[in-house]
Amino acid sequence: MSAQQPLSDDSATLTITNSSNVSTKKQPPPEKPSDVRRRSNVILSFWLIVLLLGLPIWWKTTTIYRADLPLEEMLEWADGKACRPVFPLRISIQASALQDQEAQNLLRLTQHALDDLNDFAGHHLRLQLSSPLGSEKRSTTDNGSALTIRLTPGEGTTSTLDPLEPILDITYSPNTIPSPTSSSSSLATYIASQLRSTFAEEQATISYLLSTNSMPSEHRPLSLSPETAESLAKRTTRSLKYAPTYHLTFSLFTSGPLPSSWDIESAIDEYMKPVLDVLSPIHNFTIDTQVQLYASPGVQSQVLNKEDLTSFINAAEWPLSPSIGGAPTINFIVFVGNQTIASADSSSQSWLIPQWGTVYLLSLPSDTIHVPANTLKQPLLTFTSHLLSLTGTPESGSLPLRLSTLARIRSADLLLRASSTLGSLARLAMALPSISIPSSVAAGVSETMSHLRLACDTLGGPQGLEHARIAEAEAERAFFEKSMVGQLYFPDEHKIAVYLPLLGPVAVPLVMGLINEIKAWRKRKREKAEKGAEKKKE
Amino acid sequence: MDGGKVTVGRTAGLYIGAAVLRLAIFTLLPGLPDLLTGRVEISTPVTSFKRLQEGLFLYNHNVSPYDGGVYHQAPLFLPLFSLLPNALSYPIFTYLLYIAVDLLSASALWKIADSGEAGSSAQFTSPRREKRWSGFVIAAAFLLNPFTLATCIGRSTSVFTTCAILHAIAKAVSGAPFGAMVALSFASYLSMYPLLLLPPLLLLCYDRQRPDRADKSALSFAATHVPVVFGVLALLFGMSYLITGSWEFLPSTYGVQLTLSDLTPNVGLWWYFFIEMFDSFRSFFLAVFWLHLSCYVGGLTVRIRRQPLVVLTLLLGIFAIFKPYPSISDTSLFLGLVPLYRHVFPLMRYTFVIAAVILYASFLGPAFYYLWIYAGSGNANFFYAITLVWGLGQSLLVCDLMFAVLRDEWEVERPEMVGKEIRQI
Repeated sequence: MSAQQPLSDDSATLTITNSSNVSTKKQPPPEKPSDVRRRSNVILSFWLIVLLLGLPIWWKTTTIYRADLPLEEMLEWADGKACRPVFPLRISIQASALQDQEAQNLLRLTQHALDDLNDFAGHHLRLQLSSPLGSEKRSTTDNGSALTIRLTPGEGTTSTLDPLEPILDITYSPNTIPSPTSSSSSLATYIASQLRSTFAEEQATISYLLSTNSMPSEHRPLSLSPETAESLAKRTTRSLKYAPTYHLTFSLFTSGPLPSSWDIESAIDEYMKPVLDVLSPIHNFTIDTQVQLYASPGVQSQVLNKEDLTSFINAAEWPLSPSIGGAPTINFIVFVGNQTIASADSSSQSWLIPQWGTVYLLSLPSDTIHVPANTLKQPLLTFTSHLLSLTGTPESGSLPLRLSTLARIRSADLLLRASSTLGSLARLAMALPSISIPSSVAAGVSETMSHLRLACDTLGGPQGLEHARIAEAEAERAFFEKSMVGQLYFPDEHKIAVYLPLLGPVAVPLVMGLINEIKAWRKRKREKAEKGAEKKKE
Repeated sequence: MDGGKVTVGRTAGLYIGAAVLRLAIFTLLPGLPDLLTGRVEISTPVTSFKRLQEGLFLYNHNVSPYDGGVYHQAPLFLPLFSLLPNALSYPIFTYLLYIAVDLLSASALWKIADSGEAGSSAQFTSPRREKRWSGFVIAAAFLLNPFTLATCIGRSTSVFTTCAILHAIAKAVSGAPFGAMVALSFASYLSMYPLLLLPPLLLLCYDRQRPDRADKSALSFAATHVPVVFGVLALLFGMSYLITGSWEFLPSTYGVQLTLSDLTPNVGLWWYFFIEMFDSFRSFFLAVFWLHLSCYVGGLTVRIRRQPLVVLTLLLGIFAIFKPYPSISDTSLFLGLVPLYRHVFPLMRYTFVIAAVILYASFLGPAFYYLWIYAGSGNANFFYAITLVWGLGQSLLVCDLMFAVLRDEWEVERPEMVGKEIRQI
């Protein structure tokens, strides 16, 4: 660009170097006034464009738009001051065999015992007496209680979790009913400890989540034992990030030409569909399947060691879709071949790949053309249990309890994640005063905060999860705003590198021309004044 | 010298010869027009014949021609070209149109040359003016220039702008300011940048007014003629609106030139710069580049007030280097006007360097583009480097011509210095 000659100090001022070497250097003759005026006009025309057009354009195009962000509030959310995550769990007690008075008394005592046991304020268990007339269905759904305790008189004191309903069946011998005056009761203590062990995992998981986030210490639960923390950390890293929809890909890879078809649809319907249905309030699933012949695994050895398992997936050749678009993909692979896993327990045929999916090694007779649904039963049951752990479902308890716990854990997780994203955004906005903040970011932040507030108020309920999900998505969108990401690493010094290469060479002739012109003008003025003075003298 | 004595036979001979040459290339090398149409040196996003075909197809199927973001040319091309038979089945009509436009440009150039304006304007008469080429030579130099030929064969729509600009100048030197203003409006309507030629063209018209109806005051002259330009432009915009049915054509034609949204490589300097540009500074540097392009108008017009035709020539040279989508067509227009200054050629210092650099760039440019795009053994820097050399050659020519013209003026003031070496201070 600097090939352009500075036109302003043009060749109006041409002077001579005598080609013949004359020792006395000739002075150029004085310029004509018209030439002087013309040169001033030329310089003026350039400067007028710079000042009248250039400067306003520079101002307008490089000022940074910074939308107002509620920084204080955002930091409060990140520090956990804005919302104290509390999970009020209501537990109803059905004791149709007890007198009302007795039941009230038992309830009071059990609550006392629970409160004594509980060390974590965020996780409340609140007992209530369900109306004896109400059916089981009503008591579980309408009251929004997390668990129903069904007290029935029986031989000894036992407890069993109903596998299909969130119901804890407790039998008691009639003589353990506390008298109205007694201040303690073995039955109450028993119920309390049963409840506590039922919710122990949830409590541990939530306190783990809170402790890994920047929650202030007063809200923080008592520290977990290192072993618990480690196992929870393992489980958290294994599970996928929460998404409202997951995409499941079932792939049949065979090492040879056979088998070439499988009854996957009916097998999914039969063995996996029930679990997908119960997960449906929390996640949606989309499913596709594929068959790939002559698929060579990444490891060729006959017996797979622990190290081989990580490289078994032939990522280069196997057509496994990455998580493109909205839904993350969970891969379930049935590999038909004769490889085995080297382990103490020789029956193991599958392994779980954290945040990715599962591989199941299926050995079949070499002339199998079609894989029937019942052969797929074992793989699909394995997949189902792995799906639960990939979605982060707790491991203990009955399935309905595990699922409701999952919803609560997920909403807490999303809430914390959205809050910490807000905090990062606020810190980013404060740390980089030159970053532009588009109004869409401000809108996203206010949307996030309103949903966070709603989520915080309804934590533990189904809307809580929904609000937390929206809040998290909005927060991520605001944080990863395209026009901001580009400017993340743009310190002010870089502006010199942006402006100088082009504007520097342009500015030098402009400025020099102006300076020379001003000098000449002052000189002329002085000469005029001197002339005037001389005239006066005369 | 023999400008006035050219016989009708020679004139006709030149025009017929140029037309036959073009027709022969069109018909004997049927693959060449399409090959040249695809070359980035000839077809820019705002002048490409291929894109015109696309716009024409959409227009003839009652779809807005600007849908799809391919067509960026003026809407009035569409009815003109849809009058012609289909360019694919009967290409001869399109060829004839382009040949006719080239001949029209040459005849305008001939008129400019014969007027002698280059050597002696209203306020300045060069002592060297006797040494000049006739209109015949200048028209021939334009018509047989390989750049002009390639532009015509490549059917770039910039030939229409070239023709309009040359006619504006021809009308101005022949004392028809109204016609000049109308022609300039057409040029501006087609490519926008010729609007920057308005101030020197006004001065040229003012200087060359017919004595019988001369307007004494320059201001009142400008006040009567500037509205003509804007009136004609408004009329053209109105017609475009009627044709396309919306104002969509404004952002799609002039907006693209202003914002450089199509970064197809060309022989100019903008595309590479804006590929590399940080997004947040893009609008600022667009403004800087446009201001840079337009800031020469005022300075040059003031400085070389006595020879407005020189200003027009130099500005056309500067535009050929610094406009957003330049092509060799702009260079061919500039090179067509340069021979008018035959009388100052002896004062130019770098003629050999300039000729060598321009030849060097014209041969290596296509080679480097091939290396980058087809062979894959080069990268974008190859092509950009050669466009820099191309720009350097042209700016050398602009500067040298300006130097020669100024020296010519200066020698009138200081006759004792003729033939002596000078130094710029």
